[in-house]
Amino acid sequence: MKVELLRAGEFFLYSGEMIIMRDAAQKRLSAYEKCPIDLKDKIVFYAGPAKASPGNVIGAIGPTTSVRMDCYLEMLFKFGVLATVGKGIRSKRVTGLCEDYRRVYLIAPSGCAAALSQCVIRHEILLFEDLQSESIQRIEVEDFPLIVAVDSDGCQLF
Amino acid sequence: MNNMIEENLKEMIKQAIINANTQISEEIKPFIDQYNGPFSNVIKDNYRISRSTGLPLCQDTGMVEFFCFLGVNFHLKRPLQVILDEAVSEVYSVSPYRYSTVDDPLFGRKNRLDNTPAVVHIICCAGGRLDIRFLIKGGGSENLSRLFMLSPSAAKEDVANRVVEHIAESGARSCPPLKVGIGLGGTSEKAMVLSKLALTSSIYKHHQDPHYASLEEEIKERINSLNIGFQGLGSSITCYSTHILTHPTHIATLPLAVSVDCYLCRTGSVTFES
Repeated sequence: MKVELLRAGEFFLYSGEMIIMRDAAQKRLSAYEKCPIDLKDKIVFYAGPAKASPGNVIGAIGPTTSVRMDCYLEMLFKFGVLATVGKGIRSKRVTGLCEDYRRVYLIAPSGCAAALSQCVIRHEILLFEDLQSESIQRIEVEDFPLIVAVDSDGCQLF
Repeated sequence: MNNMIEENLKEMIKQAIINANTQISEEIKPFIDQYNGPFSNVIKDNYRISRSTGLPLCQDTGMVEFFCFLGVNFHLKRPLQVILDEAVSEVYSVSPYRYSTVDDPLFGRKNRLDNTPAVVHIICCAGGRLDIRFLIKGGGSENLSRLFMLSPSAAKEDVANRVVEHIAESGARSCPPLKVGIGLGGTSEKAMVLSKLALTSSIYKHHQDPHYASLEEEIKERINSLNIGFQGLGSSITCYSTHILTHPTHIATLPLAVSVDCYLCRTGSVTFES
């Protein structure tokens, strides 16, 4: 994904890979000097999916509040993360970081977890399985709805 | 006999929890159907998919909070907390919901894997009924709970300003449009509990005292004029309703508590006669 081309306010449907992680996993990652998984050019989705029903790829899934994880954003960018996906407005520091690293912050519809689960075609747990829904997971999505909240020039939607 | 009452009670609670997690409230549905702003298609698809598949409306299936109005002539053999924890554990263990409670809040934060304990408030009443209301509120809206210890000489404008400023600053983070619960008076924790209880109200219910009813309306209008909108993206309304519950307070205090519920307003109620 060419994140430099995305502009704040733009809506698009994304198909491809996302790495799921939220507060607990990022707190753990912050103790590592070298990231134990490859996050280069990845999109990190701040989420903690519900349990899957039998026969389904994944359970209900949706974005959690991004601002809680602002303190770990620079770490993710240093690990090579291209974009983060979550919900809600973030701190001013985030717009500065997006501009400095030429990365973006995207928002997904919140409170729509039954619908979003239908966009997920693959799901696997990568790391920290003991964290349950907060473990690091990998998903592949098709036509996943996103809006650019902060673009790589530091312009923001909110 | 009592065991049967407890089993029936548990089954009714379990069904009500499932309904709240998977069926959009009839009060809220028209607001969603009328919304045509960003992400409106997926928001509308969501409640249909949830209803037809049994997947929860939101992945954050909450820490369940109960308000139990327990009549003195309504007798149970076991503590209500135990019965309600069993109901929560049984529903969350077999449903495609999320286990969202961790054991210790600071050290370890190990997931309990049954979504218990429920938070249970028991209010003793006359009579032989048990009325239970509950909230399924996610962490995103819970993180907006606030307590302000106002000066006892504060005026209604001070109350309104503090609530509106708080929503202006943080409302976009908790999946608006919001239902806003306000607890006024009592002590600090009494006000907090009242602000939560207020969230179990119908959005069409107003305070019986016209002064408070008008304050509820004023706060709602001011929040709506913030234009935070669905998803915090500036379209449509920001606040469904505002509900104030009051309690006598100390001459030196005026506690003001604010709690909010997200756009899904996942609540339920069960009434049981002995």
